[in-house]
Amino acid sequence: MKRLRLLLSVLLLPCLSSLAADIGKIPDGFTPIFNGKDLTGWHVSRSNHHGTTMMAKVENGELVIGQNPIGEGGILLTNRRYKDFELYLEVKPDWGCDGGIFLRSNEDGNAYQITIDYIPKGSVGAFITEGITALGGTGQRRAPDWQKIWKRDAWNSFRIRMVGVAPKVDIWMNDVQIVNYQDDKNHALGGVEDGPIALQQHYTNPTTPRAVPNGVHRFRNIAIKEVK
Amino acid sequence: MIASRILCCAFLTVVLALAQPQTQTNSLGMDFVLVPAGSFTMGMFQPQCPAVGAGDNMTEAQYQECMKLAKAAARAGFKAVIAKPFYIGKYEVTQEQYQKVMGKNPSYHTQSVVGGATDKYPVDSVTWADTQAFLKKLNAMEKGKAYRLPTEVEWEYAARAGTEGETQGGKIQDLAWFMSNAGYLTHPVGQKQPNAWGLYDMLGNVWEWVQDYYDNDILPKGPKGPSKGTAHVLKGGGFQAHAKNIRVVVHAGGPGSVISSGFRVVMEAR
Repeated sequence: MKRLRLLLSVLLLPCLSSLAADIGKIPDGFTPIFNGKDLTGWHVSRSNHHGTTMMAKVENGELVIGQNPIGEGGILLTNRRYKDFELYLEVKPDWGCDGGIFLRSNEDGNAYQITIDYIPKGSVGAFITEGITALGGTGQRRAPDWQKIWKRDAWNSFRIRMVGVAPKVDIWMNDVQIVNYQDDKNHALGGVEDGPIALQQHYTNPTTPRAVPNGVHRFRNIAIKEVK
Repeated sequence: MIASRILCCAFLTVVLALAQPQTQTNSLGMDFVLVPAGSFTMGMFQPQCPAVGAGDNMTEAQYQECMKLAKAAARAGFKAVIAKPFYIGKYEVTQEQYQKVMGKNPSYHTQSVVGGATDKYPVDSVTWADTQAFLKKLNAMEKGKAYRLPTEVEWEYAARAGTEGETQGGKIQDLAWFMSNAGYLTHPVGQKQPNAWGLYDMLGNVWEWVQDYYDNDILPKGPKGPSKGTAHVLKGGGFQAHAKNIRVVVHAGGPGSVISSGFRVVMEAR
């Protein structure tokens, strides 16, 4: 009997753990915006300051971004613009690489941002801005203990809900809510109320050591649910 | 006798060259500066690696790999030649000038946004096709002159004003409106320091369209852009651009962020 219990628990453990994390599956009600085969629906910005020729490719069904040439990052934008939405994606960055998820961006990358600064002293899952006025709203914008929620060398999920002109932003990392923020006004450049979603790879130079050679950010199961 | 005639011809040539005024203003009040002939090195690229231990993010092995990749990616550049002098806009085309020529103003930065008159602000929110429509009308209005966009080589040569390296020299805060000092808005043209040849806002304020097609490369590989393409080159960075894009070498491509896209023009004697 004891042996049977042990056998059952060994067999069931992987199933239970995958159920608990719920990683590897697009949630119900979301529509994929990455097809797992090619970059249809996406394009590299030609005017972003991180770089204009970043590496972006599909490998084993995963969207992989990195620097190209060395030191030059960039942003990979959706061709479509999104206003109010929930975004789901899974990410697995190499240690030492700074990236992010840009929301309501423009072609240059002036945007709201969720950090994936997976570097020493970095912060993952913080809601900040990139090249737009500083936030002044209320609520939690980052999880101080994000490392306790984050899984090293594994896939991690983000669910991001952004609704409203002065957006209300809720973010869950691995199903744990880490951001619950109400913006004070619309900070998007030029007062736009929508924009592409973008995936970022930071640039590197001697004073900005934000990536390691050949380091990449991997994404999969990128999907959206527009809020009407 | 022959010698004196040769001498006379040489003298006249010099006089005519000198007679080409350093600045000109057309009937719309657009100011132009004469840019001398010359040459410069374009397209040079040398990625720089962070030191071992920088940001606790670079091991010795990673540094060695970075140096290897940087060496492989480096480019010596090429010599770009400006065979004869040309006139280029002292300022970016303003909203007032665009309105006069086109009868409309597409700019985002109008009175309701900046809180004052925007006549002297650079026109923004123009596509490359808009610049061509503007030039067509301007050429029809101004007889005896030929207006066009600068080529990328001309633009970068004029922006450099004799300087080497990736920037224009000088303090970027004094030369350009960009992310760190512009307050996320454009500003009237000509408020920052000019470069050594008297040109204002070559860096910052609005990105500037040039004639060349974009080649999807980090920097140009030769003095002539591709013969065809789907986008055109943007130079100089805009009011909302990070300092990394406020460099004369930056070789961006359209469509760009629409509200930061403007232009300046070259004037040739017909």
